[in-house]
Parts: sequence; C-alpha cells; structure tokens
Amino acid sequence: MRSLRLAVRLALRNLRRRPAQGALLLLTLTIATGVLGVATSVYGSADAPWDRVWRATNGFHVSLGVYHPPDEPGNRAFVAELRRRSEHLATAPGVIGVGGPWTHLYGSIEVGGGSEDLTAEVRDPGPYEVDQPLVTSGRWLGEGGGVVLESGLAATLQAGPGDTVVIQGRPLPVRGVASTVSRGRFPLSRPAQVWVTPETARQLRDLGMTEEGFELQLRLADPEDAAEFVAAHSLEATDPSSAVIAYMETWQQRRADSHSDIDILAGTLFAAGALIAILTVATAAVLITGRMATQLRQVGTLKAVGVTPRQIVLVLLVEHLAIAAGAIAIGLGIGRLLAPRIAATSVTVLGTPEPPPLTWARVAMVAAVACAVVLLGTIRPALRGIRQSTLRSLAAGPRPPRRPGRLARLAANLGVPLPGVLGIRSAWRRPGRLLTNAAGLLLGVAMIVVALALRDSLGLLSLKPSEPGHAASDAAVGILYDQVRAVILATAGLLLVLATINAIIVATFAARDAAGNHAVLRAVGATPRQTVTALVVSQLGACAIAVVVGIPLGLGLWSLMEGGDLPQVSVSTRALVLLAAAVPVVFAAIVSVPARLLARRPVAPLLTYE
Amino acid sequence: MSEVIDARGLVRRYPADGPPVRAVDGVDLVVEAGETVSVMGPSGCGKSTLLHLLGGLERPDAGELRLGGRRVDGLSETQWAIFRRRSVGFVFQAFHLVDELTAVENVELPALLLGVSRRDARRRAMGLLERLAVAERAGHLPDRLSGGEQQRVAVARALINEPLVVLADEPTGNLDSRATGDILKLFAELRQARQTLLIVTHDARVASTADRLLTMRDGTIVAQTRLGSGASVAGILASLADLGGDG
Repeated sequence: MRSLRLAVRLALRNLRRRPAQGALLLLTLTIATGVLGVATSVYGSADAPWDRVWRATNGFHVSLGVYHPPDEPGNRAFVAELRRRSEHLATAPGVIGVGGPWTHLYGSIEVGGGSEDLTAEVRDPGPYEVDQPLVTSGRWLGEGGGVVLESGLAATLQAGPGDTVVIQGRPLPVRGVASTVSRGRFPLSRPAQVWVTPETARQLRDLGMTEEGFELQLRLADPEDAAEFVAAHSLEATDPSSAVIAYMETWQQRRADSHSDIDILAGTLFAAGALIAILTVATAAVLITGRMATQLRQVGTLKAVGVTPRQIVLVLLVEHLAIAAGAIAIGLGIGRLLAPRIAATSVTVLGTPEPPPLTWARVAMVAAVACAVVLLGTIRPALRGIRQSTLRSLAAGPRPPRRPGRLARLAANLGVPLPGVLGIRSAWRRPGRLLTNAAGLLLGVAMIVVALALRDSLGLLSLKPSEPGHAASDAAVGILYDQVRAVILATAGLLLVLATINAIIVATFAARDAAGNHAVLRAVGATPRQTVTALVVSQLGACAIAVVVGIPLGLGLWSLMEGGDLPQVSVSTRALVLLAAAVPVVFAAIVSVPARLLARRPVAPLLTYE
Repeated sequence: MSEVIDARGLVRRYPADGPPVRAVDGVDLVVEAGETVSVMGPSGCGKSTLLHLLGGLERPDAGELRLGGRRVDGLSETQWAIFRRRSVGFVFQAFHLVDELTAVENVELPALLLGVSRRDARRRAMGLLERLAVAERAGHLPDRLSGGEQQRVAVARALINEPLVVLADEPTGNLDSRATGDILKLFAELRQARQTLLIVTHDARVASTADRLLTMRDGTIVAQTRLGSGASVAGILASLADLGGDG
C-alpha cells in the first residue's frame, strides 16, 4: 500500500514535470481509443430509433414470409397449402396478436429515371393488431385509393402526399408516407414497398402486377420467446423442387439486419481501431522507453534511497495507466460526439440515430485496448529493468556495433556520398525502432493504396449503368462505399499521423543517440548539413520497408475487397510511383526536424556531455 | 616564424544564476608555427573552453581570433566545419572516435570530408596507423580497441590532413601509465616534426613535452614559461606550486 502511495505521488510529479511527453502519449492512445469510441457508439445507434418504431407500430415478434417467383403459376397450390398452415400458426399457443396474412404483389416503380422492383402489400384500411405502419405524413389507406409509400422510398423519390408515383407505367396518387419495421428502408432494402388497398391492388393486377407471396406478423405473450417459437414452428418448404421460399424471422433478427450500412461502417471502424491500436502499442513502447530514459536521474536517486526496480516499474505503470484513463475518457467522449453525425449519413435508420447507452461492456472494451497498449508498451522496458541490476541500462545509448556494416561498405564502394554512408552505418543500430517506424508507415501506405483503388472503383461504379430494377439501390450502394472509403481514408490519415508521431519520436531519440557521434563528425569537419543528411539517411530504411511492403500489402487488401458490387480496377502505376516517391520525401522532411535542431547546437557541450 | 594562432581578448561567458561566469576572460595568445604549447591550470579555470574557442567548437562572446592568418571568429558553423577539415586536428580525452566506423575509417574520415579520393584517403590513413603502431587494428571498431589504441587512432585522425594546428584536450586523461608513455613519445615526435600543437593537460609529464607552458586561472593566462628541451616534471610542478595551481 505504501508502495502504491509512493508510486502515485511520483507518477503525478513525473506527469507534471514532463507534460509534453505525457501529452504525446495521451494523443497516441487517444487516436486508438477515439476510433474505437466512435465504432462502439456507431454500432447499434440505429437500434433505439428502430425500437421506437417497433413499439409505435405494435411491431411483430415473429414474421412469416412466403415468396415465389411471380412467373411460376405451378407453385400456387403449394403456396395455398402454406397459407393454410400459417393460419394454424396464428392460433398457436403463446400468440396474442396476428397481422395478415397480407398478400404481396410484384411489379416496378419509376425511381430517378430508372425503374426499381416493387412490392405492393395489400391491406384493408385496418386497424391491425400487429404492424400498424406509423404514418409520418398524409393519411393511411382508406377511401379514394392511392398508395402509401414506405418512408425510405418516399425519401428517395422526394415524394409526399399529393404527389404521384409511376407504378407499372401508370401514375398513382400518393396518399401518405409510413414507417414500419416489417420492411427495411429503401433503397438498401429492396424491393421498394408501397401499401395499397384491395381495390387498388385489383387495378395493379390489371396493369400486370402479379402475386409473389404473403407475409404474416405475430405478436407473442413474451417477445423473448420469439426464437423458441420459430424453432418450434418451423415452416419449411416441403417441396424441394419448388421455388417457393418460406422463412420465419424473429424481431431481433430483423432489427439486426435492418441497418447493414451502419454495421459495415462500424465494422470498418472496429477494424481501423484494431489496426491503429496495434500500431499504438509500438509507438507507446518507443515513447515509454524514451520517457524512462529521460527519468534516469530520478531512477538513480530512487535506487540510491532504496527503491527497488519493481517499485520503479510500478511508478511507470501508474503514470501510464493514468494517461490511459485520460485517453479512455476522451476517446469515449469523441465517440459520443461524432457517432450521431456519422450514423446520420445512414440511409437505413428509422429516424434520428442515437448512440447506444454507454454500458460497462463498451467502456471495458475501449479501456482494455488502452490498458493493453500501455501494458504491452511498458512490459519490455519493465522486464529489462527488473532483469538488470540497474535501470541505467534502459537509458543507455545503443550498444556499439559488433562488426563493421557491410551495406555501408558496399555503399561506399558504389560511390554513395559520405553522409549517406554514415547514415547507413547508423541505420540498424536500433532495429526495433526502425521496424516500429516501418510498421506504422507501411500500414498507412497500404491504406492509401486501398483508398486509391476504392476511389477509382467508385468512379467506375458511378459511370456504370444500373441494372433494370436496381437504379436507386445501386446509387445507395455507391453512397455506402463512399462512406467506407471515407473511413478508410480517415484510417489512413490517422495511421499516418501515428506514423508521423512515431517518426518524430524515433528521429528525436536517434538524434539524441547520434548526438555524440555527430559532434565528433562536426569536430573533424563535417558540416551541419552533412550530419543532418546522415541522420535522415539512417531513418530512411523505415521508408524503404514501408514502400516495398506497404504497396503490395495495399494491393493485396484491395484484391480481398474486390468483387460484390465493386468494379474491378487496377491502381494506376503513376499513382503508385507518386506514392512511393512522396512517402520518403515527406518522411525525410519530418525526421530532418530533430536532426536540424541537433545540428544547431554547439559542438563543445555535446562532446562534454558525452 | 609565422603565427598559427593569434587570439586577442577572447571572452567566453556562460549564463549563471547571478552574473554570467567568464570562463575565458580576455585571453591573448599567440602560437607560432611548429611550436608546442601546453596549457595547465586548476579544474574549471577555462583551459578546455579556450581550446574549444580556438577550434571553433564554441563561439567567443568577444575578441578576435586568427588561425593561419585568417580571421575566423565570425565564421558560420558550416564555414568553421570546412575550415577545421583543412586546418585543425582535435584529440580529446574521451577519444571521441565514431563508434560505427573502424579505426582506419575514423582516421580517413577528415580526408574524405576534405574531398580526398577514397584510395588516397585510405593510403594516408594506413600510413599514419603504421607510424603510430596500430595498423594491425585498422579493421577493428573502437569498441574493440584499448584506450591507448583508441587515442593513437584519434591522433592519426587529427593528423591526416596535415593541419595547421593540433588541439589536444587532456589527451592522456583516460589512459594508463603505459599508454600515457606512448602518447608522450608521440607528442615528442610531433614536436620534433614541427607540428604546431596546443595541449591542455593536468599532467606535468605531458606539459613537459612543450616549448612553452601557459598557466590559466579564472579564465585568464596568469603565467607563461618557456621550457627548455630539458624541462623537468619536477620543475613544472614547482613553478605551478609557486602560482598556486593544482598542476
């Protein structure tokens, strides 16, 4: 307990004394927790609005849908048999409310200059025990005909009461607009849906719409029994040669499937968060090791008064966990702030998205990642501290090389200028840091390649003529991919920010490591520019790895993403060459900053310090 | 004889809590070509700072400095670096070899920086290492060399461009007595070869190899003693004791 109190006191003092380092670690961790915070808040943000509509419409607990191809009249007898069985289902124990069965007609509706497949659900004016659609404007079905549009379809058509829609080539008046949970929102949920009275349905049949099945909605005494009910009353198609599809679904399943775009966005954000968290471990490790190095004097003093290495490690852990706690709070806050804006771009949410409640499980997930990053980042320097008799080794400069570098010798023989050769000499002295740098950069480069490919592919997608009956939904898919691309670009950006932080940290430490050697070089006649060049070259190995590995990795990731709705494209060689050229230039500019700062310092104090 | 070093009123101050500390306080110094000069004095008297000022590793706050007749106190960092390649060789107490370079690569470094071809630089470096009896260690990294070997490599590096002056800061401070003896012998040879040499030292034996001994205290030169070829360590210690130095 006394150890912990001491650790807390020392940790707080360290944080106050070195706020910049603490802030950098906080920023690094917050990038990871922020992305995960957004992901946890986006995921499920469509549930609350869905629940509201579900309650307001007396939504189903179990739904039975039966569909058959409209052009196969031979199935009708079998469909009639299924309808009879569904009526028995409506009287099953536990059922307290029944909606339907409602007949579905198949046809087409004009949307945005093209046509979309359409289901017209035939209902009497109601009211209904189950699934009473929530009218958001206009009126529900009744005298005078007309159609009621599903709200997503109305939004796509920008149509409302008093407007007309063209179904089967015939203009029909819009009576109202309504929301329901029995059908996903158009256009990501297809086909489009309208509600019509039996009288209007007769007109539509005359216009060529054909029957395609029916839907039955049930409410149970206990909604949580839905899965059990479905398992007990499975209505499988008994004619294997038949094209009839009969399936039962619980309200939970329908809710989970109702917002696929949000799930894809959240999934992409989770993947991005995981990727960033992995990289954050590396960054945090470098930062923490460097932070320990700067605390050398304090460590020596503490050891002198009898503090053990374990207690010193405890101080570090307390300090870094305190920073992690800050990052968790900020990350979750960012999530709460940004999630509604991101989720609002969804075309599937029934109303205004709402981040789900901040449960302990969600907080724990973000906290676990931040704590894991800190623990993994601290573990290596901590183990070294415990293993060795003194923590001084943690702060020592890099171990002198064991043998002369062959690559540098080769470079010298090939006529590489002296600063370049000196840089190559230094390059592999801190392989861990070099690989950390490389990892950050290569993930960023790979993400940029994917984003470039996605941009080209989406460009093609927007030019591609829509398939008949899919005009609006193709556009919606394009929007979804645009959102995914934005997330990937943002991830690439964050990865590059992390890589930049990494590069600055590593270059700063490299400059610190190289200070003595560079002072000597200047003492024997190397100019400041030559020492800057040597330091930059020593760091460029990370860039080489990032470009050589990152570009193929990005292309590989893209090949995994291709398919589905995305047109296949190859990323242009020009773009890849530009990327390969830009990364080292930008990286060199970044790492030259600490090198220049070092070169400005007078030589004598550096030599004396050494 | 021409003047290699001509310093007039050199001042170097360091900030302190109170008034700035004048580490070098108006030093006038002339060193002739081929002359070996030792500088002694108590710790903190400004010896090393003076040496750093003379080699451009630090900038004077006031005063004039000419090396080889060229005014150098106003040179930029880059100009100083280029000037040092050609005109100044340094030998440090801590050797300060670049630990990523082998012995021979350390020696040839100033020559390469000067633009000498790799082949010529290597030939010159090997020649010097042979002369200093460390040629067999040419391919080793500094980490693998003894202190005496490292200091001989450092001396070779200082000499490779045949500089106007070699500035040595406590060159035997980190060496055992045997290695110190080797370095003393080396400096005696340099003196005979008329290499201009300025040595800052605490060691009276090293000081005794010089033509002239300067004694510093509180940033100023308080005494100059011309040493004969038979200058003895005891004599130097005695003269320092008269001045109250710690020798």
